[in-house]
Amino acid sequence: MSTEALPRTQGPEALANDAALAKFAATRSREAWRRRLLPLGAFLLLLALWELSVDVFHIRPFIAPAPTAVAARLFDHAGLMLANLAPTAAEAIIGFVIGNAAAVVLATVFVHQKIAEEAFFPIAVMVHTIPVVALAPIFVLLLGNGLAAKAAIAAFICFFPTLVNLTRGLRAVSSQQMELMRILSASPAEIFFKLRLRSALPYLFSALKIAAVTSVIGAIVGEWIGATTGIGALIIQATYNFDSALLYASIVVGSLFSACFFGVISALERYFLRWGVAQSA
Amino acid sequence: MSNQIALDRAEEASGAAAPAVELSDMSVRFVTERGVVSALEHIDLSIPRGAFLSLLGPSGCGKSTLLRVVSDLLAPTSGEVRIMGGTAREARARRDIGFVFQDASLLAWRNVLDNVRLPLEVGGGGKRGAREPRELLALVGLAGWEKAYPHELSGGMRQRVAIARALVNDPKLLLMDEPFGALDEITRDRLNEELLRVWEETGATILFVTHSVYEAAFLGQEVLLLAARPGRVRDSVRVPLPSPRALAMRETTEFVALAARLRALLETC
Repeated sequence: MSTEALPRTQGPEALANDAALAKFAATRSREAWRRRLLPLGAFLLLLALWELSVDVFHIRPFIAPAPTAVAARLFDHAGLMLANLAPTAAEAIIGFVIGNAAAVVLATVFVHQKIAEEAFFPIAVMVHTIPVVALAPIFVLLLGNGLAAKAAIAAFICFFPTLVNLTRGLRAVSSQQMELMRILSASPAEIFFKLRLRSALPYLFSALKIAAVTSVIGAIVGEWIGATTGIGALIIQATYNFDSALLYASIVVGSLFSACFFGVISALERYFLRWGVAQSA
Repeated sequence: MSNQIALDRAEEASGAAAPAVELSDMSVRFVTERGVVSALEHIDLSIPRGAFLSLLGPSGCGKSTLLRVVSDLLAPTSGEVRIMGGTAREARARRDIGFVFQDASLLAWRNVLDNVRLPLEVGGGGKRGAREPRELLALVGLAGWEKAYPHELSGGMRQRVAIARALVNDPKLLLMDEPFGALDEITRDRLNEELLRVWEETGATILFVTHSVYEAAFLGQEVLLLAARPGRVRDSVRVPLPSPRALAMRETTEFVALAARLRALLETC
């Protein structure tokens, strides 16, 4: 999502021709609209193709429901959907906060204590290679069949990308900037908060955007193991009942929530990194 | 206020005799995989207060290492370093040292004014007598750019901000490590002239590292030539140009002869 900024001159002395500026602004806004409308158009086209193929090839609803059937189920069962989204959202958000907070603390320790990184980083890598689907039953056994187990799974899945990214980000300080801080007799806390953490923010936010999506995956996977409520539980029930429209509707609700979560983190990123430097997701 | 002035006077009086920088038999050696590398060997150097000294030499001659020893970023392997009559650490703690790097090293998330203010915020704040950041921005020709962010500035403007930042504690000693090395020639010429103006305005002692013969000769009252492997003082050449200097002086026969002489010396380094 690179915001294609055209080269522009800034500053008080760059006062160019008004007409040229107006034309420039018009071109820019046209391009901005095209960027928004084109994907939307393509999406609607694909939906129409899907609807048409279900109709033309007489595909039975439990194999693949038409988009209109999914939409109908979504509206009929809006209350059920929301009631099941609430626990999933809570698990994902709690897991997101815990997992990322733990990663931030550990990355901070790693940067200040090289020995801790050397000792624990390989273990973190090894644990991360375990598929989360395989770990889910273990968490349920350990923490019971409630919110705690699902939040733990979400936290686990968030933890690693943030740890790796933030550790790298905290180290990505130029040697001249470090020398500058030393000449200024900056304390370790000042170096951390005024230099390292600030220059690591772009790294942190790209990790948080990944975590926003994966935390929802973690919560849903956790709910597959014997949960009675949540989007994950709804997916399992709908599958067993051959209620494909409900299955698809659950997936739509789950991914809409993921997208919103991602959007919130992206907005925070834009706010905290408003000082420029092109960011890419 | 009057107390502060009295203190400053006393300090000036006690250290008045001491040169800005004094290196005696100073050596720096690094241990690397390929053995011990001698970056600087037996450097003896005395720079009077208020001088503008150019350090000229090929890459690997230890120019940057010398600045890092003077600014207490690096301890010499042997020998003595005296800054304003005291140790380099004391000078750094008193905020007597300003440093301008080759890369402007601005903090991208701070606007121009906040970048210049940084030295006042860290390490226990600015010493009394710190200069007004806005005033310094005007001095380096950036009045009106206070709210701009580094990515909105050209390379030359960023380096001006870095100079203003180095001056904010009103340092007695300004160390510059190839500050204009990455700039185009026109910008470099303009900044050279402005640096001389800044030097006159502040009265600071300046150590200016460069690998440009013209820059070294145009700026310095004296050019110190360093030879590489091991880094050592090859020669010291006084610049006979009058002050204040103007870019046009570079076309005079005196200057051309001086540049030719420096170039010839540089080839033997």
